Amino acid sequence: MDLALPVIGAVLQSAAMLAIAPLLKVTIKKMKARLQNRQGPPWRQGYSDLAKLLGKEPVRSETASWIYVAGPRVYFAAALAATTLVPVVFAAAPLEAAGGILLLVGTLALGRFALATAALDTGSPFGGMGASRDMTIAALAEPALMLGLFTSALAAGSLNLGVLVRGVVQHGPSFHPSDLLAFAGLFIIVIAETGRIPVDNPATHLELTMIHEAMVLEYAGPDLALVEWASAVKELLYLTLLVDLFMPAGIARSAAPAAVLVGIAAWIGKVFVLAVAVTLTETTNAKLRLFRVPELVSISLGLAFLALAIRFL
Amino acid sequence: MPTSDVLILCAAGMLVSAYLMVGQKALFTTIRLFGVQSALLGILAATIAVSESRPELFVTAAVTIALKGILIPWFLMRVIDRIGIHREIEPFLNVPASLLVCLGLTVVGYRVSTGFPEGSRGVSHHLIGVALSMLLIGLFLMVTRKKAITQILALLTVENAVFLVAVGVTSGMPLVVELGISFDVILAVLILGVLVHRIVERFESMDVSRLSKLKG
Repeated sequence: MDLALPVIGAVLQSAAMLAIAPLLKVTIKKMKARLQNRQGPPWRQGYSDLAKLLGKEPVRSETASWIYVAGPRVYFAAALAATTLVPVVFAAAPLEAAGGILLLVGTLALGRFALATAALDTGSPFGGMGASRDMTIAALAEPALMLGLFTSALAAGSLNLGVLVRGVVQHGPSFHPSDLLAFAGLFIIVIAETGRIPVDNPATHLELTMIHEAMVLEYAGPDLALVEWASAVKELLYLTLLVDLFMPAGIARSAAPAAVLVGIAAWIGKVFVLAVAVTLTETTNAKLRLFRVPELVSISLGLAFLALAIRFL
Repeated sequence: MPTSDVLILCAAGMLVSAYLMVGQKALFTTIRLFGVQSALLGILAATIAVSESRPELFVTAAVTIALKGILIPWFLMRVIDRIGIHREIEPFLNVPASLLVCLGLTVVGYRVSTGFPEGSRGVSHHLIGVALSMLLIGLFLMVTRKKAITQILALLTVENAVFLVAVGVTSGMPLVVELGISFDVILAVLILGVLVHRIVERFESMDVSRLSKLKG
């Protein structure tokens, strides 16, 4: 019993995140299309795409080794594992006993490493280019992500996301200036990590400036489906993380049906608000030149560092 | 939401916008960021007006939002459109280095704010800290930017910082003084706008470093 509850919770939560993630991608696409006076894809498009890709037979390069096959699988597994470490509807993560912020960042880094290595494996120039670009940005984005998360952890006095969120819910948001600085920093990181427009263009396979798409260009069929699905889950995960840390209002603190319903509604509402913010950023900004991207990410690094420094002053 | 939270959020938002101004290279975005910063200052003044029942601050808030939030950004964008200059900022110092310097300046500003009797804790600590940091960032922007328009923006950022302290921490200036400052600001921007025109006419660029060629 002691062990069963977290495991059941983890399975349920990751399954729910898996199910909802494609919907988030389509929602953003649809809102973006609306802003450009287009109709946008139908709501089921995300699922149709995945079903189509999963139904195909895998096509793999003859020169590819097992690393190429393992890449998408590790990436998918890492994203899935990360969902169990983040509080979503309840003010507790299912597997929070396993670890906190550091484990979360580490798990996501493991997925990124696996995908980048796999992209290098076939020896195609696009894969290598994409991997090197992705790593360049990740090298700056990861410390910024950690610093931003540490700022919240410092206020709560714990690195564990569950404890952290419960602390914020109990004392109410601290409304320290560092919260806003950290939020601004982390928002830029979310844009960068999910390959949204000022950093990367998710809608094209043709530009020479693409990052994530270049990395996964070699993949087809079920392998590609895994990568796309995991990316969608990662995006949902990052937005959930922002929601948890900076606007935890409404999160369920008990398993009472009413609290759970409020928790689910609040979570969907807050993630939707963030999705609108992401859409607006995508629509109002032009894609940055690749060499400008490190500048943008260094802004967020600066903001996150400042947030941490101000905590002590 | 308690008043102090709104005040801190607005002040922090101003600091973030100042920081983004340092990191931005697009001229129009910088101007818009300044508009947002002024609007936040206006909201802050309005909040204080409500919480401390100082109705004269409503005038300050309205003037700030209308003048610095809308009118001046619109005017600056029009100037840029009219003279058709290159729409990128070319700083003397590259972006990451400027960000690092501003980071240090903010820490200094925050540290110094604890020396004030009002600034040791609570809301006024953050207000004074943010204002001092913005003042320093504004001065830094003025020194490191080449274009005349960005120097105007830096001056206005400094002005916003001073206003933030005046509104948030002191018991306020007389309305006449505030109105006088507002008109000073608008006059300064107008004159600087004309000056930018003249600089561009003479040098076909807004780069103020070329002014040194005027020496005989």
